[in-house]
Parts: sequence; structure tokens; C-alpha cells
Amino acid sequence: MNRSTPTSALAIPLDNLSRASAIARVIVTYPKIVVFISLVLMAALLSTLPTLYKDTRSDAFLADDNPALVYKNKVKAQFGLSDSMVIAIVNKRENGVFNPNSLALVDWLSGQLSTLDNINSDRITSLATENNISGTEEGMEVVPFFDELSGEQVSADNIWQQVSDFPLYMGSIVAGNKKATLIVAELIDENEVEETYQQVLELIAQAPKSTGDEIHLAGEGAVSGYLGSYIDADAQKLNPIAGLVITLIILLAFRRFSPALLANVIIAASVLMTLGIMALFEVPFFVITNALPVILIGISVADSMHIFSHYFDLQAKRPLDDKKQLIVETLVEMWRPITLTTLTTVAGFMGLYFAAYMPPFKYFGLFTAIGVAIAWLYSLIFLPAAMAIIKPSASSAMVRQAKQGKRDKFSELMVQFGQVTLQHHKKVILFYSVIMLTGLFAATHLIVDEDRIETFHSSEALYKADKAINYYLDGTNNLDIVIETNEAEGLFEPAVLNKIQALQNFVLTLPNVKGSTSIVDYLKQMNRSLSGGDKSEYQLPHDKALIAQYFLIYSASSDPTDFEAEIDYDYRVANIRVQFNKGGYQDTKVAIEVLQRYILEEFNEPNATFNSKATLSGRVNLNYHWIKDLGESHFVGLAISLLLVWIVSALLFSSFSAASFAIIPVISSILLVYAAMVLFNIKLGVGTSMFASVAIGLGVDFAIHTIDRLRSTFKSTHGDWDKALAELYPLTGRALFFNYIAIALGFGVLISSQVVPLTNFGTIVFISVTTSFFASMSLLPALIKATKPAFIANQLIPSEQPNMSNNTLDINETVKPNYAKVFRSLVLIAAVASAGYFTINQQAHATSTEKAIDIVNKVNNVDDGQQVTRKLTMTMIDKRGKTRVRETQAYRKYYDQEKRTVIFYKKPTNVKGTAFLTFDYKDTAKDDDQWLYLPAMRKVRRISASDRGDYFLGTDFTYDDIMLEGKLELTDYDFSILRNEQVILESDESFDSVVLQGTPKNESIAKDLGYARTLIWIDTATWVVVKADYWDLKNKPLKTIAMTDIRNVDNIITRHVLTINNHKTGHKTIFQFSDVNYTSTVKDSLFTKRALKQGK
Amino acid sequence: MKSKKSTLIQAIFGGIVTTLFSVICTANVELSTTWQTEVAITDESRVQKIESILKPEVNWSINDAFDMTFIGRFRFDTQDRLGYQISGYQGDNHDNYGSLNGPIYEGNNADFEIREWYLDTEMAGVFWRLGKQQVVWGQADGLKVLDVINPQSYREFILDDFDDSRIPLWMINAEIPIGDDDSLQFIWVVDQSYHRFANNGSDYQITSPLLVPQPIAGFDIASFELDKPSNMLKDSDLGLRYSKFYHGWDLTFNYLYHYLDSPVFYQQLNESSVTVDAKYQRSHLLGFTASKAFDAWTIRSEVGYSTDSYHLLNPSTKQHSQTFLDYQGIRHFKDLSSVIGIDWQGLEDAMISVQWFQSSLLDYDHNIDNAMYRPKHNQIFSFLYQQNFANETWQLEVLTMYGVDQSDTSIQVELSHMLEDNIELWLGVDLFSGNQQSLFGQFNDTDRLVIGFEWGF
Repeated sequence: MNRSTPTSALAIPLDNLSRASAIARVIVTYPKIVVFISLVLMAALLSTLPTLYKDTRSDAFLADDNPALVYKNKVKAQFGLSDSMVIAIVNKRENGVFNPNSLALVDWLSGQLSTLDNINSDRITSLATENNISGTEEGMEVVPFFDELSGEQVSADNIWQQVSDFPLYMGSIVAGNKKATLIVAELIDENEVEETYQQVLELIAQAPKSTGDEIHLAGEGAVSGYLGSYIDADAQKLNPIAGLVITLIILLAFRRFSPALLANVIIAASVLMTLGIMALFEVPFFVITNALPVILIGISVADSMHIFSHYFDLQAKRPLDDKKQLIVETLVEMWRPITLTTLTTVAGFMGLYFAAYMPPFKYFGLFTAIGVAIAWLYSLIFLPAAMAIIKPSASSAMVRQAKQGKRDKFSELMVQFGQVTLQHHKKVILFYSVIMLTGLFAATHLIVDEDRIETFHSSEALYKADKAINYYLDGTNNLDIVIETNEAEGLFEPAVLNKIQALQNFVLTLPNVKGSTSIVDYLKQMNRSLSGGDKSEYQLPHDKALIAQYFLIYSASSDPTDFEAEIDYDYRVANIRVQFNKGGYQDTKVAIEVLQRYILEEFNEPNATFNSKATLSGRVNLNYHWIKDLGESHFVGLAISLLLVWIVSALLFSSFSAASFAIIPVISSILLVYAAMVLFNIKLGVGTSMFASVAIGLGVDFAIHTIDRLRSTFKSTHGDWDKALAELYPLTGRALFFNYIAIALGFGVLISSQVVPLTNFGTIVFISVTTSFFASMSLLPALIKATKPAFIANQLIPSEQPNMSNNTLDINETVKPNYAKVFRSLVLIAAVASAGYFTINQQAHATSTEKAIDIVNKVNNVDDGQQVTRKLTMTMIDKRGKTRVRETQAYRKYYDQEKRTVIFYKKPTNVKGTAFLTFDYKDTAKDDDQWLYLPAMRKVRRISASDRGDYFLGTDFTYDDIMLEGKLELTDYDFSILRNEQVILESDESFDSVVLQGTPKNESIAKDLGYARTLIWIDTATWVVVKADYWDLKNKPLKTIAMTDIRNVDNIITRHVLTINNHKTGHKTIFQFSDVNYTSTVKDSLFTKRALKQGK
Repeated sequence: MKSKKSTLIQAIFGGIVTTLFSVICTANVELSTTWQTEVAITDESRVQKIESILKPEVNWSINDAFDMTFIGRFRFDTQDRLGYQISGYQGDNHDNYGSLNGPIYEGNNADFEIREWYLDTEMAGVFWRLGKQQVVWGQADGLKVLDVINPQSYREFILDDFDDSRIPLWMINAEIPIGDDDSLQFIWVVDQSYHRFANNGSDYQITSPLLVPQPIAGFDIASFELDKPSNMLKDSDLGLRYSKFYHGWDLTFNYLYHYLDSPVFYQQLNESSVTVDAKYQRSHLLGFTASKAFDAWTIRSEVGYSTDSYHLLNPSTKQHSQTFLDYQGIRHFKDLSSVIGIDWQGLEDAMISVQWFQSSLLDYDHNIDNAMYRPKHNQIFSFLYQQNFANETWQLEVLTMYGVDQSDTSIQVELSHMLEDNIELWLGVDLFSGNQQSLFGQFNDTDRLVIGFEWGF
């Protein structure tokens, strides 16, 4: 009985078994050739390693075609704004940095920086490079601040006097309390940042510091620059530790050196070959890729441990047998469980690949999966070959124990654990239920946050520098707001400048915003200087000509490139740089969202006399965009991983309930992690968000081994549940325990990382793997004891399967092939292969459907205003021409999660007072909420919203038509592009249109909507729907809608007349919108039941 | 007293007309009126009513902050069957109105009434509606548990539209929004008007022993005293309602401290006569409503707990007479009532709605079982079918109510048609069946056919 390893009793189809044994025999017969080929393959891939390059930029987290990134690069090119190096000189003595020595230091550093190759010498901003603007009798004088710099304190005081009188520089390069000043240096090539960073550090080391001077280096450029070497240093430390830990564990488990050595070769193969493949496909090494080697170390060692465990077990029992024969037997028994767990792990990581939207995550998922596959391949081919050469023997202790039928300490430990578990199985279930409920609750309280500076350990100089600069000055985190006018010199227009000024004033009221700089600040200073220097004159000139003149005067007295960062050459585009003293997602989110609303309301009106467009850009905006979807991506990834693992497990066990049991431990572990994250205030960030896929891929292995083993012990104990469960612990328990220790300690090593997100990541994976292990060893057996599931119980039913645990393995025995098993294996292979195929060919699948979806998205993205007030006249004409007219007042407003619409009937008298309110939720799975107020009832009545296909209050529009307002619903229809066509409406209006066909996704939706299909004409100039035809469920023409009188209102394309002809009834409805207004306030109180009653 | 009241009302009316006239001359005034005529013929081919109602409505947007609404009603009936001046009952039926309320009469056939007159405003974040108005609580249709703020005129029993039969009251109605979707409503009713029952001798005079004391054989009525609250402050009603929108559920929690709208008849038996003391009594009403739509289904429900409800006792048999004497012919109980309604809109342009009303007397005394007219548990089922045709220009409506205890039924069928934008015609039948003692059965003999039109301008 003890012969079997934890996984030995998997039902192996004997045809596979004999095939496996044949392959195994080949491997052990020609071991040297196999080892040689394996090593050559490894070496070949290793040769590509030097081409692997690091990409530690924040930008790397966004796809190259991400709109926010594209725009940021455009702005960067236009204004020469790069991620800058920021040097702060801090002096806490009485005069602060305004003493001759510190100022000389600023001068020296500014000068030296400009000599560095990768620093743009025109774009160094410091007291030493900037000019003072002052008025003179002839006009304006632009003089460098440092013109008067001498060794005397008086000159330093004088400079302070000038600078403190120049609001633009206060906070941006000089601290208000004199204690600090900045040198900001823009980079030429951000890819060379690492070297530049080192050069700047050297400069700082050489700098002539005087008493009290501290020099700090920070800024996004420095962060990127340091991160590369920081990660290198970290990896160089972590990987050897992980390898060492693993070696020690193997030594402890087997008391032999050769397994440890061979396991390390497999680790090396898996890690290095994966990196080699990355290099081959020119995928860069991202910040998070650092976790990849450690994860692979943990996973690949598990495979070899299972093989060694089984081999030594056999060897201890049959010390005289031929070792090659034992290796073959081991392989025959082990290939399947190892393949099983590899498949589930790959499934887990592929979940990450499918769900992630950030390239580093996608590649992380994909390449970890590849690495796991390599570890599997080497464990099954290289390892047996190498063992056949070395022929390791079991330790004498193991042989002795085998002879005496004794268990070692670890087995004893697990047996005791099993006894406690099974005695108190109900308590165990209760305990885990509490954990899971707590975790579920915690999951809703997770906070998404990410702050790049927090990547560094708080003891790092860079971290401290960042904190210091953000303390003394306006901050190191930049947001750019680009203002574009539609003609050259458009920025001379006082109206536009006033808007910029208002925006700057507004932005200062937002949280964590400390300062902002734009051309307006310069103009104000010029105005003041030219108007006698009085503070009250620090304001914008009101005259266009005067503004033009100011620029002229300035360029006459100074370098015309001075404003390069604030305004473009032909005065059409301006940049406002906003500084935040905190860079975290949560710290900046509010400001970004408020600003987006602000510029939507205040800018971007093409019809305005002086049109100006504002767009957010810069690092802070970019960070906002790549973090905002992180939470969603995390949960989607989790769901996909769970689903994939569940499907793979179901196929493996050919039981859905077994698959469901298998994922219970991982679910409990993930929920516990959520609880821990909330408890310890760990935020869901870049590093932590990918833990779930990892935890699933790794954690499910324990459960699979457990279930598999229980199926065999149940059979071998002839259906005695208690015995079968107890049998689980001595062998499987022990093997899984070492497996767990290896993985947990492998990840545990990450905890010692200096890269903070990796530390967090290591911690939570450690927690989740630990939980998965213990849940597989306690919750799972407890549940099985409590429920006695069929997927284990039916193992007793006599079948054609051989009873593996009771006979001596005769691998030469010929048995009839088991077609069912073969079929299942084929399905499994087909599933994995098609997943792979899908992955590789994802791009090729861009069919016309996707193009149709693009068009639908364009239609749905046409701005229809945050809110609208309008009159709606409904005219209903029956087939005899009899007309009914209803006049209504309608309001619509978008909220976070829903669109609210209310319609009040005003005329005629007998429907007056009727009112209709709808909450239309973004979440399409959620039914809309609708209320109708009928004045005769004096009561707001809840009405069912599911009858989307019902006609709306006697019109020919359905409730769905009314709700969609010309948008298209992707969840209801499959759309395809039919043709391009010029459509001419009854009103003689004509449009170049693209025609889409929509077919409801299924019969039930078709029935709901009342349509079998629809054709939609979309104006390609504006992307609004101009015409639609509908067919009823019998596929007969039902109705045609035409949208006419399309005009711009408040810069929003608005259809004023909707005509609908019902072909079945001859009835016709005309909706006529008038007094459309997108700007007037729409009170929230309109969308209440009280308002319905009150009629407004 | 009556003439004094009439004078007062006439003075008010004059004031209103003057005010309205001047108001109409200014901008921001909408004037709309409906003219409705309905003819009813009983199954004995007797014309029950030829009634015309003119209902002017004025909406005056005084400024951004204030809106005023005035709705008046002139009513003229050529027949006398529904009775204005039919005498016989000793009490004056108009006494149900408080001092500021009630119609003024012109001759035997016409009356005028200020139906509603209120000011809407938003002040201090609170929505105020001040004046004479209707406030409807609850979710049920036709069956009342929480909809008891306004009393009702039973001139046509339950056949008239609730909108017309509800008696609007003078009150302060404040609604305080809480968060985005919740609100707290506060109501202070200073109007002591209660149910108005049909006059004696008219077609819908209430005779069921469930509702009015029965003549006792061999006993004359010695005296009838009606004790009606009249102190505007002391006898006012107070209501609070918290409305919440929670996960798609419309929930309300209601509290009303009010006078029950029917008087409690205390009957004292003497040698050969009976003294009737009709007193209005107060009660606390605690309630809860919930409604939500699921797919094509909508659930509406309401529950109300009244601390006080009064039910008449049967004096007729000897063995009960002691109980009748002990309790002066009326028993007091606590009552728990509820309605659960389900609407189904699964058919095109149609709605089917079923409601189950139940009322339970909580501290019921089984010893007096036989003396009670109504059972401990009382249930009514209602069924409504509405079907629209031709873009809602035609509508068929069938409403049935069934009292479980006495197997009595009311059936109302109506077919209506929008002839023009503003002209609606209808034809309907109202049928009752069941024994004379029961709620619906008491009008077994008054089945009728109605035909009518409404013109809005």
C-alpha cells in the first residue's frame, strides 16, 4: 500500500500507460543523448538572453496605442516636456538657500548639468537659468536673477527679494520659506535615463556643498532611472536566496545532494529559457517581470519533488531493483499528476493573460505559463535521463523507515493534523465559512491605489528626496492641461487667457494641487512690471494688441525660447503645468475627474466666438488612466482564471462537482487574502492585483492532489469513508507539505525584496498558498466527509478501470484501449490547443464584426450631453389621419451608474399631470426602474421595466427605443456591416451612411424587444443614427424610424425630429424636440417620485 | 351655524374668484378645465343620475420659487337619487366637514367646492405643499390600508373615481429629501373633515350592519348625538413617512396619528329606546409599504397596524344582548391589515393585477364571537384586467372585488375611447352581488349602467 505516491493512484488508461512506459524506456536507455539535447536547447535559448532589455518606464504599463499615452507623447514633442530630473537643494539654516554659497551651488550644478549628454541644456530650469522681469523707463527689462550674484549675503538677499516678488517662481522652483530651491532638468532621451541618473548622482557627489546644504535627487526621470538598477540589485539578491532556500528544502526532504542539484537545473531551464524566449520575441523585462523567476522557482521545484518523492519511495522499498526500472515506473505513475497540475497552473496564468489590459501583465501571464510548461517538459524528460545517469539511492534513513513500515516526522505531523481535522470536521467547515464570508465582505472594501514612489523602500534616498521636495515645494507630480485654439495667435485673445486664468484658479482649489504655471503667469508679471510694478497690476492685460506687444517686448529683451514649455511657436497652443505634492492614484483621482468635468463644461465649444479646447495630459493624467481600471481588471482576471481552472479540472476529473470542490480551497485563500489586505491596509495596486491568478494556478494543485488521492484511497479501503480520509495524510500530506513549503518559501523570499510592491505581492501569495494548502488538507476532506460526494463514492462501482493500488504494476501488460478516456484526453488537448491558437491568432480575428463593434462604439460615444432639458411634442396619427398631440417637458441626466429620465405631460388636459420616471442602469443585467404617475390615481406607481418591447404610452416607440435615444445596445444585438450607402430621408435630407444589421443575440432577447432584426443607417460624418428599419418576430417589416432636423445645440449633435412609421398598423408617431438645452441646470430633485407628483 | 359657514365659504369663494381673475391676467398662468357628463341607469331602467361636472384648474407659476394650484368643482345633477336634500336621517350629513371645508349648495341640484388649493414651494431644502390637497399613501389600488389621510365621500359608494370621491383637506405637507433617493414626509392636517356617507334614502345609503347600527326591534331611537372634533390644533392629525429607495425597492415607513374617519356608534339601551352617541375616535397607524418590479412582474405591498378599530355588535339575540349592553354595542380592537398585489405586464399593452387584502383583529375575544358582525379575519381579493388597443385610444378595464367572509362581489367593467385628443367617451356597468348584510351585497339592487364623456379644454 505504501508504495504509492500521493498521486500514484490516478486512473491511468493503460494504453497511455504503455505509451508512457515506452517513452520512459527510451529516455532511460539513452540518457546521455537526452541530457545533451536538453542542455543544448537550453544553451541555444540562453544565447538570446543578452538581447533582453529592461523597460521600467511608467508608460510601459499602457499599450502603445492608448489614447492618453499617444496624446502625452504629442504634448511632450510639442512643448519639449519630458520626465525630468529634479534636484533639490535644501538648507535649513536661517537664510535658507539664499546664502552666497548655496546659490553658488545652484549655479554650479545648473552649469554642470548642461554638460551632460542626455540633458537638454536649453531646458534646465533653476534660479541660475531664469530671468526676472521688471519694468524700466524704456519698457521692460528681462535680466537673469543671478546677474547680481556675488559672495556677499546682500546679493543673496537681493535675489530673494526679486524672486519672492515674482509669484510664478514661488513654490515652483523656490520654497516659500527660503529653505529649498529646485533645479529641473529635462531629458533628451528617456530610454537612456538610467545612465543619466548615475551621472547626475556623480555630479551631486562632487558638488561643492557648504554648511547646511543638502542635495536631493528625485522626479519622474530619477524614478525611472533608479528603478532599473534598483530592480537589478533586488533580483540579484532575491534569486540566489530563493535557489538556496529550495536547495535546503530538498536536502531536508530527501537527505541527498543530487536531487537538489537536478532540481536547480530544472529551475534554471524554466527561468532562463523563459527569459530567453522573451528576448527572442523582443518582449522587454518590466518592473513586475521581476516576480517571474521567483514564481517559476517555486513551481518547477514542485514537479521534481514529486518525481523524487515517488522514486525514493520505491527505491527504499525495493532497494535491490534495477534503478532504471524504478525510474520508468516512477515516470509512468507521475507523468499524469504532474501534467494535471501543470495544466491547471497554466490555466490560472492564462487567465491573467486574457484579462489584463496592461502589456506587462499580459506578458507576465503568458510567459509564466510558458515557464511552467518548460518546467513540466524538463521534469519529464531531462530529469529521468539525468537520474538514469546519476542513479541516486534513497537515504539509509528512508530505507530503514520503509523496512520498519514507519513514518517520518513530517508524515506523523500530517497524520495528527488529519486526525484533528476529521474529528472536528463541522467546526473546520464553519471556520472556513467565516473566513470566506469575511473575505467576501472585505472584497467590497478593497481600495485601488498606486503610487510610483511607493515602489521604493522608505529608507531609499530617492524616496526621502521625493518627500522632501513635496514638502518644501509645489511637488514633483505633473499634470499638463493643453489649451488649443483654432488659429495662430489665438492665445492673444483676452477671453481665452481669462479662461486659462480661471482654470488655474480653479485647479488650485483641488486636493493635493499645490501650484500651476502657464503663460498667463508670465503675462501678469509683464503687465505688472510695465505698469509700475504695483502688486495690484499683477493681472492679465485686457487688450489683444497689448498682449501681442508684451510678447514682442519680451522676445526683444530675452531668449525667445523662454516660453517653449508654456506656449507654442505661433501662439496657438498653450500648456498649463499643474503640480501635485502627492502622486498616488487616490491622491490625484478626484482632481482629474473634477478637472475633466470642468473642461467639458468650460472649454471645448466650437461655436464659441473664441473657441478653445482643453485636454488633460502629463504623468498624473497618464497614471490615472492606467490605474482606474485596475480593480475591474483584477476581478475579471480572477473570474477567468477560476473558470479556466474549473473547466480544466472538470475535464481532468470528468466531474463538474469534483472541479467545484477543487476550487473551494483557492477561493477560500483568495477571500482570506482580501480580508488580510483590508485589515493591513494593503491597497490593490499594480503589484498586488496579479496575486489572484498566481494564487489560483498554484493553490489548485493541492486540491487536485487531494481529490485524486482520496478517489484511490476510497477504492482501496473498499468504501470506508473514515479510513479513506485518514489514508490521505501520511503520504499525500507529506508530499504536499514539502511542495507547499517550497512554494511558500520561494514566494516568502519576495517579502525581503526592496521593491515594495513585490514585498506586498510576496506576502499575499504566501498567505494565499498557505491557506490553499491548509484548506486542501482540512476544509476539503471535511467537506468530503460531510457531503460524501459522488465523484469519490462512484469509484467503488466496478468498472473497466484496473485497480492500480492493488496490483503490482506490469507495464508490459496489454489491455484494451479505453476510448472514453482517450476521447477525454483529446478534448482536453483540443481545448488547450485552441486556447493557445486563440492566443496567438488573436489579432487575426479582427473581423467585420469587430469593425461593426467599432462603429457601434463610435455611435455610442457621440456626446449626448451630461444633461438635457427639452420640450417634446408627440404627435400620433392613425391610419385615417386622425391626430393626437401631446406636449411634454422632458429632462435627462447622466449619473455615475445610471441615466435618469423624466417626462412630464403638459397638454392636453386629460393627460396633464401624467409623468414618467426611469432609472436606466449602465449594468445591463440590472432591470431599469420605472415609475408612472397618473393624476387620477394620485399615486406614483411602480411599473415593470422588462417589457422593453411594449409601446410607450400610446406611441409607436417602444420603451426600449425611448431609453436608448439613438444609441445601440451591444448586449442585445450582434451587429455586422452591410454596406455604405447614401440615404435620403423623406425630409430630403441626405447622408453618407454605413448600414449595420443587428440581430438579437438570442430568441429570448428578440421576443423581449419584439424585433427579429434591424437595419441601422449611421451618418459617417457625425456617427449618429439617421434611420432604422425593424422587422417583427415573423420577419415582416414592422416600422421605420427616421431622424431629421439634425442640428448642433451647445456643441452637441441633436436630432430634433424623430418620425416613426408603423407598417403593420399604419400608425405614425412624430417626436419633435424643441427648446433643447444642454447647459441649463437640471436639478437632481426632478428625478424623484415627489417631482412626479408635483408635476415638475 | 350652517348659514354662517355658507357665508364664510361664499366670502372665500368671492375672494378666490377675484384673485384668480387678477392672476389669470398675469403671465405664467395655465388654465385648464374638464367638463364631464355621466348618465347612470339602474337595472330597473330608472335614471339614477344625469350629472355634469365642470372642473377648472389653475396653475400659477408665481415665480421660480412658488407655484399655486387651484382646482374647483361645479356639480349639477338633474336627478335627485344621489340626494343633496333628502331628509330623513336625524343628523346632518354635512356635519362631516370641518369648519373650513365643504361645498356650498345652490338649490337642490348643484354645488360648488374648492377641491384643491395649495401653494408649492421649496424652502430650506424642504418641498412644501401648503393648502387644501389630497395625499395618498400606500401601494394598493382600491383597497385602503394606509390611504386614510383624506376621508372619502361615499355618495356613490366606491363607484366614483377616488380622485373625485376623496375629500381634500387643509394641511401642511413637507417633504425633506434625504440623500439622493430617500425622503421624509411630514403632514399636519388641521382640517376636521371625515367620511361623508350617502344620505338616507339615497341609492347608496349604507345599510350593512358592518358599518351602521341596525334598528333594534321594539326599540326607538331616543336620541342621536354626534360628537365631532372641532379644535383645529388639538384635533389635528399628524403623519410622518420615510421613503427609501433601496436596491430597486421602493420602501416607505409610515406613521399617522389621526381621527378615524367614521364615527364610533355607542348605543345605550334603555327600557324601550336606544340612545346613540356617535363619537369620532383617535388611532395610531403604523405602516410599511414595499414595491419592486421583477421582469414583467411588479409586487406592491402594504401593511398597517392600527391601535384602535371599532366594530359593531349584534343586539338581536338574547344571548348576545348582555355583551351588547356591556360594550354599548361596539367593541374596540387592535387591527393588523395588509395588502399584497401582483401586477403582470407580460401581455402586450395589457396589465393583470391581483390583490389580496386581509385584516386581522389582534386582541380578538372569542367569547363574543357570535355577537360580532365581522369575523376575526377578513379577506378581500381583487382582480384587475386592463387592455389597451390601437395605440391606447381604446381601453377595456375589468375590476372585480370579492369578499371572502360573505362571498359578496363587486364587478366594474368599463370600455373607454379617446375620440379626440381631448374627448373621451365611456360605457360601463357596475354590478354588486351578495347578501344585504355584506359590504358589496348591500347594493345588490343598485346595479347600473353608465355612459359618459369628458371634454378637456
